[in-house]
Amino acid sequence: MKRREILRRSAAAGLLATPAAGLLTGCATSGGDDKGDGGAYQGTKSEQNPLGVKEDAPLEVVIFNGGFGEEYAKAHEAMYQEKYPKAEIKHSATQEISKTLQPRFVDGSPPDVVNNSGAGQIDFNGLVSQNALADLGELLAAPSLDVPGKTVRDTLLPGTVEVGSYDGRFLVLNYTYTVYGIWHSTKLFADRGWSYAKTWDEHIALCRQIKAAGIAPWTYAGLHPRYMSWPLISTAIKLGGPSVALAIDNLEPNAWKSDAMKTAADAWHQIVKDKFILAGSPGLDHKQSQTAWCQGKAAFISCGSWLESEQKDVTPAGFNMTVAPTPSLGSGDKLPFEAIRGTAGEPFMVPAKAKNTAGGLEYFRTMLSRKGAQDFTRKVASLPVVAGATDGVELPFGLATVVKALDASGANGFNWVYNNYYRKLERNLVDAACGEFFSGRISPTEFLDQCQRGADSIAQDNSVKKYKRAA
Amino acid sequence: MRHGRLPLILSFLLPPLAIYGIFVLSPYLQAFQISTTDWLGYSAQADQVGLANFRTLLHDGYVWNALRNNAILLAVVPVVTIALGLFFASMLTMGGRKGRAGVTGVRGTALYRLVYFFPQVLSVVIIALLWKEIYSPTSGLLNGALRAIGLAEPPAWLGDPRFAFWCVLAVMVWSNVGFYVVLFGAAMQAIPRDIYEAVLLDGASRATMLRKITIPLLWDTIQVAWIYLAIAALDGFILVQLMTNGGPNFSSDVIGLRMYDTSFGSENKFGYASAIGVAMFFLTLSVAVLALRTARRDRIEYS
Amino acid sequence: MSTVRAGVPADRPPRRETGVANVFSHGFLLLWAAMTILPLAWMLLSSLKSNGEIIADPWGLPEALRFDNWARAWTTAHIGRFFLNSLVVVAGSLSLTMLLGATAAYVFARYEFRGRQVVYYLFVGGMMFPVFLALVPLFFVVRSVGLLGTWPGLILVYTAYSLPFTVFFLTAFFRTLPTSVAEAAMIDGCGHFRLFFRVMLPMARPGLISVGIFNFLSHWNQFLLPQVLIPGDGPNRMLAQGLSSLAVSQGYAGDYAQLFAGLTIAVLPVLVVYVAFQRQIQAGLTAGQLK
Repeated sequence: MKRREILRRSAAAGLLATPAAGLLTGCATSGGDDKGDGGAYQGTKSEQNPLGVKEDAPLEVVIFNGGFGEEYAKAHEAMYQEKYPKAEIKHSATQEISKTLQPRFVDGSPPDVVNNSGAGQIDFNGLVSQNALADLGELLAAPSLDVPGKTVRDTLLPGTVEVGSYDGRFLVLNYTYTVYGIWHSTKLFADRGWSYAKTWDEHIALCRQIKAAGIAPWTYAGLHPRYMSWPLISTAIKLGGPSVALAIDNLEPNAWKSDAMKTAADAWHQIVKDKFILAGSPGLDHKQSQTAWCQGKAAFISCGSWLESEQKDVTPAGFNMTVAPTPSLGSGDKLPFEAIRGTAGEPFMVPAKAKNTAGGLEYFRTMLSRKGAQDFTRKVASLPVVAGATDGVELPFGLATVVKALDASGANGFNWVYNNYYRKLERNLVDAACGEFFSGRISPTEFLDQCQRGADSIAQDNSVKKYKRAA
Repeated sequence: MRHGRLPLILSFLLPPLAIYGIFVLSPYLQAFQISTTDWLGYSAQADQVGLANFRTLLHDGYVWNALRNNAILLAVVPVVTIALGLFFASMLTMGGRKGRAGVTGVRGTALYRLVYFFPQVLSVVIIALLWKEIYSPTSGLLNGALRAIGLAEPPAWLGDPRFAFWCVLAVMVWSNVGFYVVLFGAAMQAIPRDIYEAVLLDGASRATMLRKITIPLLWDTIQVAWIYLAIAALDGFILVQLMTNGGPNFSSDVIGLRMYDTSFGSENKFGYASAIGVAMFFLTLSVAVLALRTARRDRIEYS
Repeated sequence: MSTVRAGVPADRPPRRETGVANVFSHGFLLLWAAMTILPLAWMLLSSLKSNGEIIADPWGLPEALRFDNWARAWTTAHIGRFFLNSLVVVAGSLSLTMLLGATAAYVFARYEFRGRQVVYYLFVGGMMFPVFLALVPLFFVVRSVGLLGTWPGLILVYTAYSLPFTVFFLTAFFRTLPTSVAEAAMIDGCGHFRLFFRVMLPMARPGLISVGIFNFLSHWNQFLLPQVLIPGDGPNRMLAQGLSSLAVSQGYAGDYAQLFAGLTIAVLPVLVVYVAFQRQIQAGLTAGQLK
């Protein structure tokens, strides 16, 4: 009888578990073994095998199944398999990285490669402060898989190592190069005879014109309003220079209330005051707002360069989305109009306690090979952080504008990382403030106050590890 | 007949107790222990911090904000649900009492009961996902209707802090009313007809009848309803998480979500989250004990 | 069961209510009925529309009935499989809960022994615990028993967490049963076990049915427990997990029609069963409450 068997099994288990539980010794926090078996699989290092991969060691890869899907990862796995035919590769994809993997981290049996991304990503601050991530330094020093004479580090776009480093250790490989800007449809603008405005005053004038034509100038993801913090902070950085971002990242006192931030917030308040935002936007999620934008209900939207891939299914033919930098506030701007926020995104990591850490690093080397990178570009129409990944690949319209914007931005490109250091600050606190601000319920001053209060609460929280960056 | 008494007690009591001890009691005891640590959940390292988590809790504005919402749920959901339940149930039970129209009334009653009960058999996940779409500002059922009747700019509902919380609360009431209509309806039918008829002959109105006869006679049932609804109101986690995730600007946050977000969401402070859970435990406990004690006293009075 | 359909005496005294009040109250009844049916009807309708139609006009009718949405929800989102999974697990957990709940409640209600009160309150106190206080440690307990990610593990945990209410409810129910029958049976030489299974259990049927339906609904609706105890994206997940990941992926893929189709597939069988057995279900749920 099955039921009886269950009973017997649980009764037997009860004899084992109950006394332990009673004494509180079998409890979760003390049960784990801190030594773990990180890197249990070790092979012999050689010129062909610089990372010391054990050729028959199994490799487990968990992919975030978001805008990029999982097919690109399967291709990378196939390349790894080709090199190590004896290795058994376990692939899985999920949209809930944290829920799926958190127990396994606690348990000390995490997978070998984790694509820690999406709304349900695991907080990096916690992972780093608990030494749960393997150091990827060895990977940087290893020779590139298919670019002769270069190390992996040599093949990476600038900024990649910095963004993934915590206290000088390279722990997170951000695989895609993401550009954050303001998007519009080239077709819509051509049809109506509009052209993208380079200064804020012209932008407001254009918005007025767009509104008069019966189209909402702006929409945004009201349920994830942090998307609007990106252009606002970008505007401030272009006005005041990269030190604006540095102060925010380093949680400096009143960093959010700097003059540049104040001017930027006042400027952006205009699109709220003048009702330039599509009605109902505060109730839309990112997908709904982007879809409304694709349908021509709104002219502008703030997003990263994953937008084109994410909207593939609903973008009308000939829509031709274009990314552009935020308009300049005036001639006093420290950075030129062309300056745009670009950063490595889409984080991948190898848990410190993964059994096959060497395999994990080798998998990254496969992803960062020219072949792996070009295959990624072809499959998901996005830029990997590998130089030359787009060579010989025909780019879709939006991505081509991304590449162009990056070129134009050049050395003026900027970025901030507080969202990586303190996930909660952007995801919860700044997010909530943006929601209030862009729905017109609070003033620019109140908005910056609320952001600052959030930053202060993080700064004062002893349980959160703090990071500083130099420049 | 003492023979067989002890074997029965042991064999009847031990298996459930074992399962309960292993899967319910021991995790809770461990949770109490975790609440005194700063465990972050991704490794086995954790330090004892004593009651520090509870001290933080006292000054955590987000927790208090969430608690305030739970208090509103606790005050509003049972009252509204029970009031609607009583109203509809009395309409349906007395619908059959309307002269010659009685026959149709009864037939309608069965159909109404059937329909009202629908939400009760749907899972909360389904209810939450469905209503989230209904409230959607552009493609939702609600704003579609409002636009059809000429409202140019209907609210963004879940995207507006003035409405989001109340939208969730409404769904909570919506999903519960049907059950209590049926419950109260059955209780009302157990009330002898002659009582009503006597009162009606005295010329009492329907409202008086409800207040003077039905509610006192149903008091026991109403109290059971109250306890269930109070416990449901203290939770509300699944609805809130799936519909608004506590937003916008924490306006629809509840304590359960605070705990979830602190542990599995934007942070991984399992120690602190457990402390929130422990606080929640004592809260639920006191509400339940209070409700049970009042219920017991009243039952003596009425029986 | 009969109470719900209780007939109304034919010789009612005439009413003094005005027609206006009648219209007014019937209006409310109709309104609430509409508020209940509309969302479900809308879900069904939207499940047959294209994504474009859903976004364009929430009240619009579909140009063609797109059953391929259902096919997509069925095959790519595996809603059908998850539905069956849930069914199997709930069947197991419900049987186990009822068996263990009834036996424990019977002992609490009918036998005196030292420490009975303490054990009873320890047991019933579980009703007050917020489940996810226990989530993380529970994960480790289930794992140490070797049942993580398995249905037996989930069944045991469902059972454990519904025992407090079941025992509380059934203890009260067994107490209301007349003692005379049991005494007579004992005199006839009926043993303790026989007495329980042959006499008391059948007598407690109304209580068992109502708490059974209650437990069915709560097990069927579980979301948190499977989320933690059946981690990952495996094929053995429960329906609620499948639906929620469908909703999450809708956020990335924008396939509203598939979401509505998935919801509809999940709702329809339950509604059909409910409509077929509505009198039993309603009477079962309410009969026990009125004791």
